[in-house]
Amino acid sequence: MILAQSASDPLIRWDWVWDHTDDIATATWEHLRLTAVAVALGFVISMVLAMIGLRWPKTYPPITWAAGVMYTIPSLALFAMLVPVTGLTFLTAEIGLVSYTLLILIRNITAGINSVPPDIREAALGMGYTKRRMFWEIEIPLATPAIIAGLRIATVTTVGLVTVTALITLGGLGSFIDSGLRRFFNTEIIVGVVLSVALAVVLDLAIVLVERWLTPWSRHRATVGN
Amino acid sequence: MIRLDAVSKTFPGSTAPAVDRLSFDVPEGEIVILIGPSGCGKTTTLKMINRLVEPTAGTIEVAGKDITSLEAHQLRRGIGYVIQQVGLFPHKTIADNIAVVPRLLGWDASRISARVDELVELVELEPGMGNRYPSELSGGQRQRVGVARALAADPPVLLMDEPFGAVDPIVRARLQDELLRLQAQVRKTIVFVTHDIDEAVKLGDRIALLNVGGILEQYDPPAAVLRDPASEFVADFLGTDRGLKRLSLLPISGVELLPGPVVPPSATANEARLVMAEHGLDWFMVGRDGQISGWLSEEDLAGSSSPAELEVRPLRTTLSPTSSLRDGLDAVVSSRSRVATVFDGDSYLGILTIDQISQEVLR
Repeated sequence: MILAQSASDPLIRWDWVWDHTDDIATATWEHLRLTAVAVALGFVISMVLAMIGLRWPKTYPPITWAAGVMYTIPSLALFAMLVPVTGLTFLTAEIGLVSYTLLILIRNITAGINSVPPDIREAALGMGYTKRRMFWEIEIPLATPAIIAGLRIATVTTVGLVTVTALITLGGLGSFIDSGLRRFFNTEIIVGVVLSVALAVVLDLAIVLVERWLTPWSRHRATVGN
Repeated sequence: MIRLDAVSKTFPGSTAPAVDRLSFDVPEGEIVILIGPSGCGKTTTLKMINRLVEPTAGTIEVAGKDITSLEAHQLRRGIGYVIQQVGLFPHKTIADNIAVVPRLLGWDASRISARVDELVELVELEPGMGNRYPSELSGGQRQRVGVARALAADPPVLLMDEPFGAVDPIVRARLQDELLRLQAQVRKTIVFVTHDIDEAVKLGDRIALLNVGGILEQYDPPAAVLRDPASEFVADFLGTDRGLKRLSLLPISGVELLPGPVVPPSATANEARLVMAEHGLDWFMVGRDGQISGWLSEEDLAGSSSPAELEVRPLRTTLSPTSSLRDGLDAVVSSRSRVATVFDGDSYLGILTIDQISQEVLR
C-alpha cells in the first residue's frame, strides 16, 4: 500500500470522515448491492449449471473448465474487454463479478450433493421419493454446509473484487481508494480499505448465522448409549 | 401376497446372472427369510421387489398386481423398507423421519402427527424423542425409528435388508424379540434378508436358502430346513450344529415326559429307596397328584423311617412346557443327575432326560 508521504498529513483526518458520512454510506450501500447481486446471480447460475452437471455427468468437466477459464482472467482485463461492448454500466460490473463466483459455487454445490451418503439416497428412493423431490428435500439440505462454505468464499472474494469496479466508475468503497491514491490522501484510502474489509467480515458472519439457522440438526450432537 | 415368477437379474457388464430364474411365493402375514452366502443375490432379490433393481426377466406380483403396473415411486410408497444402515435422514427430526411416507402420500398434518405418536409408542421409543435428531440416538433406537418409518403408512408388505446387522448382539436379540412382538400385532408380509442362520431360524416362518448366482436351494419352514436339508449345500450352510438349532424351535410340550421318581410323603423309607433304584437315581421328589413339595437325597433318608419326618429341599431350576428343548438340554446337561424337572406353573408334569431330547431330534 502506498501511503502519501507528507509529514504534515496525518494518517486519518476525522473531520474529512464526518464531512463525508453521506458519501461513505452511499458507497457502502453501492458496494453491498454490487456484491449481493453478484453472489445471488452467481448462485442461481451455478445451481443450474451444477444440476446439469449432476444430471448429465459428461457435461461436468466442460462446465468446470469454462468456469475455471473465467476465474483465471484478471479482473481488470475482463473489464477492459467488456467496456467497449457493454459500456461503463452496472451490467459490465456484474458480468465480471458473477463470472468469478461460478467456479467455487459450482464445485461446492456438486461436492456437497455428491457427499450425501449412498444409504440415505437408497432409503429415500426406497421410501418412494421421486428423484426431483429427493434433490430438493434430501440432497440440497444435506449439501447445505458445503454450499454455504462456497457462498462464504464467493462473497468475501466478491467484496474484494467490487473495489476494482470503482475503476469503471460504478462507485462502491473502491472509489475512495482510487481517489485517495490519485490525490495522495491517506484518509480516503483507509476509509475505503477498512470499510471493505469490515463489509467482508460482516457478510461472512451473516452467512454463518444463516447456516446455523438452516441446519438446526448440526447443533444437536449428543452421544447416547444403547 | 408376493409372487416371484422365474425372476432373473444379470447386471450390466456381467455374464453370470446374480439371480437365476427364481420363483417363490410369500404367503400373507408371514416372515420369509432370504439367506445365503455372499453373492447369492439375496439383497438383489429383495430390491427387485421394490424396483430399486429392475429384473432382466420374469415377473413379480405384490397383492396380485404386477409391480411394473405402477410407477416405481408409487409402488415403493406402499412397501415398507428398512436397511442395515437405517438411512435415517440426519436433517429431519425423528418425528419427521417417521412421517416421510405419509407426507409423500399427502396425508393432512393432524393425521400424520397422530400416526407418528402411535408409532413412537408401538416401537417403544420414549415419547419425547420425536423432536430429537438421529445423531442424538443410539444404534438400537435408530433401528426402531427405521422400523417405525417403514410402518408409517401401514403398508401390507415390509422389506428388511439385514436390519439388525449393524448393532451389537444384545441389542440385536432385543430388536428381534421386538420384531416378533410387533409382527404378532400388525401381521405384515415381511421379506427379511440376513446372513445369520440363527436370526433366520428365530424370526422366519419360512426360509429361502439361496446359493451363489441366485439359485433357490430350499424353501421351507425353519424346522423342516433343519430336519431335512434339501442338499449338501444347505446342510453345509446350516452348520454342524443344526440339531442344536432345531432344538431351539421345539417346545418341551412336544415330548412325552417321564413320570420321574415321585414318592408320596406317607411312603416308607424303603419304598422311597425302591423308587430311586427303579430310576437309577440317588434322589427323589416328595409329593402326590402333581403337587411336589421338594426333593430329598438318599443320604437324607439315613436313620429315618419315612420322608414325612424330613424337611424337603426346594427344587431350584425347573422348566415350563413352553421352554425350548434347547433350554431343556441346557438344564439337563447342567444337572448332576442329568435330569430336568418340568412344571406347568405349580403343577408337576414329569422329567426330561437326554434320551427324550435326542429321540425328538431324530424324529
